[in-house]
Amino acid sequence: MKTAKFLGLGILCLGLLTGCAANTLSAAPRDITLVAKSTETEFWQSVFAGARAAASEYNVNLTIVGPETEEDYETQNALIKSAVDQGAEALVFSAISYTENAPAIDAAAEAGVKIVVIDSDVDSEAVGVRIGTDNIEAGYMAAQAALDAREGELIVGIINYDLGSRNGQEREQGLRERLAQEARVGEIYTLNVLAEEDDAREKTMALLQAHPEINVVVGFNEPTAVGAAQAVEALALGETVDVVGFDSNVKTVDLMQTGVVSALIVQNPYAMGYLGVEAACDILGGESFDPEQLVDTATQIVTQENMFSLEGQKALFPFDTP
Amino acid sequence: MKRRKPWSMTAVLVVVMTGVVLGMVLCTVALFLGTYRRSIQRSAQTSSRQAVDQVSNTVAGYVDDMGGVMSLVEATLQTAPQGSAVREEFFDNLLKIRSDVAAVTTYSADGELLNCWALDHTPREEIHENLSFNRETLTDYAGGYISQPHVESIFEGWYPWVVTMLTPLEAGGEEAWVAVDLRFGSISSYINNVGIGQHGYCFLMDQSGGILYHPQQQLIYSRLKTEDTGALASRPDGVYGENNVIYAVQTVEGSPWRVVGVSYVDELVTANVWEVTRLLVLSAMAILLAALISSIVISRALSRPLKGLSAAMRQFERRADSFTYAPVGGALEVQELSESFGHMVVKIQQLMDTVRREEINLRKTELKALQAQINPHFLYNTLDSIAWMCEQGRNAEAVQMVNALAQLFRISISRGHELIPIRSELRHAESYLKIQKHRYKNQFSYRFDVEEGCLDFLCNKITLQPIIENAIYHGINGLVDEGEIVITLRVEGADVIFTVSDNGVGMDAEQIEAILRKERSDHTGIGIKNVNDRLKIYFGEGYGITIHSEPDEGTVVTIRMPQVREEGEYENR
Repeated sequence: MKTAKFLGLGILCLGLLTGCAANTLSAAPRDITLVAKSTETEFWQSVFAGARAAASEYNVNLTIVGPETEEDYETQNALIKSAVDQGAEALVFSAISYTENAPAIDAAAEAGVKIVVIDSDVDSEAVGVRIGTDNIEAGYMAAQAALDAREGELIVGIINYDLGSRNGQEREQGLRERLAQEARVGEIYTLNVLAEEDDAREKTMALLQAHPEINVVVGFNEPTAVGAAQAVEALALGETVDVVGFDSNVKTVDLMQTGVVSALIVQNPYAMGYLGVEAACDILGGESFDPEQLVDTATQIVTQENMFSLEGQKALFPFDTP
Repeated sequence: MKRRKPWSMTAVLVVVMTGVVLGMVLCTVALFLGTYRRSIQRSAQTSSRQAVDQVSNTVAGYVDDMGGVMSLVEATLQTAPQGSAVREEFFDNLLKIRSDVAAVTTYSADGELLNCWALDHTPREEIHENLSFNRETLTDYAGGYISQPHVESIFEGWYPWVVTMLTPLEAGGEEAWVAVDLRFGSISSYINNVGIGQHGYCFLMDQSGGILYHPQQQLIYSRLKTEDTGALASRPDGVYGENNVIYAVQTVEGSPWRVVGVSYVDELVTANVWEVTRLLVLSAMAILLAALISSIVISRALSRPLKGLSAAMRQFERRADSFTYAPVGGALEVQELSESFGHMVVKIQQLMDTVRREEINLRKTELKALQAQINPHFLYNTLDSIAWMCEQGRNAEAVQMVNALAQLFRISISRGHELIPIRSELRHAESYLKIQKHRYKNQFSYRFDVEEGCLDFLCNKITLQPIIENAIYHGINGLVDEGEIVITLRVEGADVIFTVSDNGVGMDAEQIEAILRKERSDHTGIGIKNVNDRLKIYFGEGYGITIHSEPDEGTVVTIRMPQVREEGEYENR
């Protein structure tokens, strides 16, 4: 009896030990899909670079998808569904539409997929963590940059993108709040354009021609900022109109040196991509975040004065090796 | 103090042996692992230093190479005049062959951009800020320098990160400085591929701790990662271990750069150590198991015969008379023990036999001695009564008394036999009762109620007389009314039951206890205890006297003994 007990104990120990040994073998890579708002802009290229860096660091099978235009939430919903069907364990997602993307995200969460939101929020309870810019604060920064750019009365033209997009609306809200505090701010004209350079340029030109009194134009993301700047350049209004834009693009950086663009609110897209994938891995590993608490990626104002400082260079120009 | 339950030999042996082996194995494993860990750590440091040396050599080679390119550039600039075809061809080829070279620019002594060669790019007309050439800082670096990484800022729509090598040109020409902007191409791909361990890496910093190239440059630029280059910059070349991280620092010859190798002790050391630990623990488990099994086997071999022996001892304890010992086998010592026990059993049984014989002899002797000394009071009183009867002329009564007395003595003597026929014992009792009835002036009556079939069985002599005496002294004597003593005899199964009952004052439990326990204190006659002892010695524990008494009601004394037909039947027991 006793012998049997002792022997059993010994065998159990051995079994446990070999079991542990088997566990130390490296785990299979995680399947994570990043669903972007677009795949074209420098902003998103930078997000992807960050996501890829995290993916190689954390042993992730990363799939990056996105629609062609930043208004196509239907394609985004389809991409979410197919990612879920293909067995993605987590989604790193940036919503084109705060409301219209919500059902697809809820359905994905229903299927057991973990949701990480970067850059632009979606109206879903299923979101595990939110990473990105504090957009209201960014709107404040844009307003402050416009106020710093010129003295006297400000007639502002807002070139915003899709109305359904959460981050653009929050930025506009922040901007309006800050401008409302200043007596020297006059009329504010608002345009909602496609998040494409050409559309933004043409509509901005039309706006500037219709309202020549406008002396500040604000573009709320990379393509609208480029389009707004190009419109000012095309109308040769560089001397009289200040352009405040978002994010770094070669074209806006070029135009900043010629004085057309006064300030750029530069987000940290690389960090969004990197932290997004990292957080997805953490959640899959059992960690939990407070979804109401935004993980704020640093945002800064770059002007002609500081664009070639070391910090300005780091913010504006992604480090890419040839 | 409560004593703990003692452990069995098996448990003690298993625990002690397993403990000792476990202790030894653990010590060995700890010692070995310590040594192994140290040696792995040393080799990790060595491999870290080797990797850094290699990178340093490669970077030195690259810098040397670029120095060569620089010399060529200088020579060409000084020999070929500005705008000449030789120059253009040279730079065209250089830029095509050396893809690392982003741009070559020349500047006048005033810092004015004179010439610029770059593939497919021309400088802006109005340069906002030229990061490749800054006249203000030049005063400190009259002999030229290699800059920190910066963005190429003179072109439109093209902002690659570069490092600028700046060299002064010999005085004479218009061009006073030449700047070669180098991209990170070959160096970065080389450094990216250097791995130390699983996650270790190398990076390049300058003497003040500014990072030139890091495999995760963009992570650093995005403020997601930091390197403590400040602390490293202040240290000389060498290998430093800090909280599980090994830093190896090596200056690149011929440049202001230093290579830093970062590797993680945990993954270099721990992975190996874990593998070895696993093997060690597995073998330790095997050893432990072997120790466990062997200790169980040994203790079994020892304890099995001991258990047999102890079982035999317990049995012997319970039934010492009828026990016969079968020796147990086992180790030599156990066999010796078993033999000794066998001898002891025989010896003890002999002793017990002797003791019982002696006990019987003692009782017999005691009985004889007591019989020899018939209570002198009783004798005197009886004789006095007889004399008084004679004086009064009650001769018939006197004769009766004398006869009774004679009968009493005759049975008491009865030729030394212990067992006598019940008939004789009853006669003896009746004689005694007759005498006492006279002496007590007919204060009580007596009667016999006897099964005739019992009369020929044998019983111990002087069994009834002490009990009748007790009934008279303690029962009838204190009674005002006439007492009655009834003596019955009947068969019950294989036994014979006497009862002596009186209707006297009775006894309480203490008195009964005292009568059965104590020898008689007055040393006259034979006590009830003596009768009881003799019955038990003769016939065993199941026989003897029981007393039942109710105060003021009377006492019933019951004597139980087996049916005995021949005297020898119980003598030999």
